Amino acid sequence: MINFEEELKKFKPSLEIEDAEDIIYNQDLDDMSDVLIKLLKDAKQETESTKRSK
Amino acid sequence: MAIATSKKLESFSNFFYNDGLEKAGVRDLTGAIESLQQSLRMDKNNIDARNLLGLVYYETGEVVAALSEWVISKNLRPEDNIADDYMDMVRNSPSKLEDINQTIKKFNIAFNYCRQGSLDLAVIQLKKVLSLNPSFIKAHLLLALLYLKAGNFDRAKTEAQKVLKLDTGNLMAKRYLKEADNMLLPGDGGKLVSDVASSGNDEIIRYNSGNEMIIQPRKQSVLTKSGSIWGIVLGMVLGIAASCFLILPQRIASITSNNDQKIADISEISDSKTAQIGENEQKIKTLEKQVDNLKKEAEGYSGSKSAAVNSLMKASSIYMNDPSNIEDMKNALEAVDLDTFENGSPEVELRDSLMEKIGPQLAQPYYKKGAEEYKKKDYENAVKDLAKAYQYNKKDVTILFNLANSYKEFGDVDKAKEKYDIIIREFPTSQSAASAKTKLAEINNTGGSDNAGDTNNADIESNVNNADNTNNAGNTGNTKKKKNTENTSNANNASNNDNAENANNTDNNADNGENADNADNGGNPEGDDNANNDDNNDNADN
Repeated sequence: MINFEEELKKFKPSLEIEDAEDIIYNQDLDDMSDVLIKLLKDAKQETESTKRSK
Repeated sequence: MAIATSKKLESFSNFFYNDGLEKAGVRDLTGAIESLQQSLRMDKNNIDARNLLGLVYYETGEVVAALSEWVISKNLRPEDNIADDYMDMVRNSPSKLEDINQTIKKFNIAFNYCRQGSLDLAVIQLKKVLSLNPSFIKAHLLLALLYLKAGNFDRAKTEAQKVLKLDTGNLMAKRYLKEADNMLLPGDGGKLVSDVASSGNDEIIRYNSGNEMIIQPRKQSVLTKSGSIWGIVLGMVLGIAASCFLILPQRIASITSNNDQKIADISEISDSKTAQIGENEQKIKTLEKQVDNLKKEAEGYSGSKSAAVNSLMKASSIYMNDPSNIEDMKNALEAVDLDTFENGSPEVELRDSLMEKIGPQLAQPYYKKGAEEYKKKDYENAVKDLAKAYQYNKKDVTILFNLANSYKEFGDVDKAKEKYDIIIREFPTSQSAASAKTKLAEINNTGGSDNAGDTNNADIESNVNNADNTNNAGNTGNTKKKKNTENTSNANNASNNDNAENANNTDNNADNGENADNADNGGNPEGDDNANNDDNNDNADN
């Protein structure tokens, strides 16, 4: 049996044209390469900090 | 190393792109969106995947999301990008863009109604949205959910099926469809399991179709239930009987009434037409009579006038040949009214000149005859003859006076007055004028009483014999009447013409002698009368 309230929560207001600009600017465009680069940067920073502490 | 990783990611991205493309090819839009989003997570620079994602969004009705993807795609690769074409397609039709925007706004309003609990309003609004953009999947889904909530499972099912037609991989639609199917009897379109279960009667099936509850008998062979057949037959018989005994008589009466009304109307119209025809026929007859009368009148007028002219010409001709042939002239003018000629016409001149010469001679016999008739009290013929005499001789006041008296006795007072007036006007110095005045006064005073009439008779008889007899003017009553009787006898006695003989006749008094002369000289002009009066005076002396 479908719960109407729960199902209704799955719906979201449709995007209006006036909001298109905000959507474009705020869209998360990061891909896997960006994630890997960030991961590598973080790993490098962690290594350097470990060395300093020693 | 980095390059190898990058290539690896591109490879993954392409894999998901191919998967998304394949799903989009079979209209599994939901699956295509997921694959394409996965592809872009691997490689955000996969332009084809981004453009295809925008296209799939556009197909589902998410136009703004589609535009966003195409704009980003355009930023990432400004040149040689198919996103330009897609965006141009939307930009070049502003009305379509406006419709899309209105659709989105209405959907958001409907969504707000849902959250506020105004489900009926939301349904109405969503129907409007779908009429504007039938491929708006999210609107179909929300509407299906609302139908499920309201218990309209078949409609929910329909909406879900529409969604699955647009997007074969839409999981939400599949769930709604399953839910609707679960609430309806599978394989027996639209029947609710609960309703069928609650129906204790084996002969009927109840089920809901939308908001309507349908109750229908279970299909059974009529042959298996003879009671039903007999029931049907009985029902038909009763129906026929009812129609024969109840409906048909009313129907017949109604038709008869209508026909009677029509017949009455038609007969009324017919009567009015007949009356009209009668009136017209009457008018035609009247007009025909008028035409006949006018024709006769015209013929009579022309005939009498021409006859009068001919007679006048004939009389003139006779006079030219033999002026003494009075008899023929009299015969020629016998039946002619000489007064029919118009004044100033040549016929009048001819008539007047002819009458001046022979008028007195022509008038004489008519005058005598008229006098006789007057004595016999045949006033009608007296009037005719005296009028004829007057026509021939209009200068003789005696004729005119006697004619006036005749008219008076005949009862034509107007004519009598007219003639008396002529006497007074044209012969003012004559004795007859004085008598005419007296007569007129009598007529005016007495108004034609019987006694006055007797008196007048006496006077007129006297005047017939002696119109200008001054001695008799003052006489009245029986004495005068006796005298007149004697005078009449004397008037017929030709031997009394001579005064000498009168003188010798001792039986005759002076008045007799006068009257004898006057009777014989009835047609004489007034001047002659005066001469006779002188003689009468002599007789009186005698």
